[in-house]
Amino acid sequence: MKLKVYADRGSEPSRAILIFCKVNGIEFEEIKIELAKRQQHSPEYKAVNPMGQVPAIVDGEFQLFESHAILIYLASAYPGIADHWYPNDIFKRAKIHSVLDWHHSNLRRGAAPYVVNTVLGPFVGIQVNPQIAAEAEKLLLSSLSKIESFWLKENEKFLLGSSQPSIADLSMVCEIMQLEVLGDKERDRILGPYEKVQQWIENTKNATGPHFDEIHTLIFQIKAMLQKPPPGGAINEAE
Amino acid sequence: MKLKVYADRMSQPSRAILIFCKVNRIDFEEVRIDLAKHQQLSPEFIAVNPMGQVPAIVDGRFQLFESHAILIYLACAFPGIADHWYPNDLSKRGKIHSVLDWHHSNLRRGAAPFIWNTVMGPALGIKPNPQAAAGAEKLLLSSLSKIESVWLKGNGKFLLGSSQPSIADLSLVCEIMELEVLGDKERDRILGPYEKVQQWIENTKNATRPHFDEVHTILFKAKARLQKPPSGTTINEASKKGALHSKM
Repeated sequence: MKLKVYADRGSEPSRAILIFCKVNGIEFEEIKIELAKRQQHSPEYKAVNPMGQVPAIVDGEFQLFESHAILIYLASAYPGIADHWYPNDIFKRAKIHSVLDWHHSNLRRGAAPYVVNTVLGPFVGIQVNPQIAAEAEKLLLSSLSKIESFWLKENEKFLLGSSQPSIADLSMVCEIMQLEVLGDKERDRILGPYEKVQQWIENTKNATGPHFDEIHTLIFQIKAMLQKPPPGGAINEAE
Repeated sequence: MKLKVYADRMSQPSRAILIFCKVNRIDFEEVRIDLAKHQQLSPEFIAVNPMGQVPAIVDGRFQLFESHAILIYLACAFPGIADHWYPNDLSKRGKIHSVLDWHHSNLRRGAAPFIWNTVMGPALGIKPNPQAAAGAEKLLLSSLSKIESVWLKGNGKFLLGSSQPSIADLSLVCEIMELEVLGDKERDRILGPYEKVQQWIENTKNATRPHFDEVHTILFKAKARLQKPPSGTTINEASKKGALHSKM
């Protein structure tokens, strides 16, 4: 029985799992759970993940949710996956755990609420809250600043001074890609000050071949839809 | 060179590391970083952890922060640690990772801000945010509900149906212990509906005694101080010493 990956390509952590599987030649079935249609609350899906969130996997009888746990499981359980994704070395591994954990309370805690409370909320039935957006933006910017000054060492292409990508690079770059839906101007305003971050995003895209772009197609479609006002309507009434 | 653990015993994740080391007889030096005195912002500590948060460890030349990463490292790097703390089995390990990650965005994200915006912040002279407290309480209660119905499903003594504790039990129970500073009435109001949770807390304490109680002493002292108004002053002016903000 093939691995099943329950995902919504609009979800940052879902994309990280999908890209990881494709880059590493892991055979799987992608099952679309559309958050905009509230499919994550269906009884069928609750039987897969009682928390009603994506992503989740089912591998035979084994069910797992939380994207970092999934990435670690896949990197460990499947054959032929290059060591740099989740090194065997206990020290390198620990550093990857620390940045993945830091990500939860920092980058994700800033980026996701910021995007939801400015443009994406209406898509997922959440009312936009400008106060939350303001606080989230603050955390997002300070997180990007920490990535620039601490997690990205001088002269190395990926997090933690590595010359090759790990699951942490994939997880965090997919998070940052969500900023695309804000439009180029906003995205550039936010990312502009962080040159190493911008280079690192490019490095991660390049390292994951055509899969990165293919998995991000939906986000760019949403971006295009949000930027284009319908004919005869005000910009505020865009879909 | 001995392992160094930089900790504040008022910090939930700091306590989890200290208890884990003591229970597993890991030789270490505890270096107190007093959050109430802002010692986490000192240049010396920033050199250990640039994020300025506790806990952190230094093992020889290896520096590490984020309590879950530390617990995993210690469980793997030190000899003689029983498998149940961080099992070798990939599926069991995957489940432990999932509850540790869930904890960040749920239990911790509810419990810590709730305590801060009701009791700890005011004790340090910081104006509480009732809106933040209300939001945090909602998340705290729904998290406890999920622990009761999902993570403690079945008849196991510990999370994930296990008969023995893992690093996840230690991390989550230390988080819930912080509720003590709210006082017995509030703590009971919050934990009251969740019988399995209460039993699991006892199970975890029993599995790690006497170290669990010893490491929690300072928390109970802070609780006592917060409950007792000093003569002639209001509760809001209760001593700021020892009551403080743990790692957010």
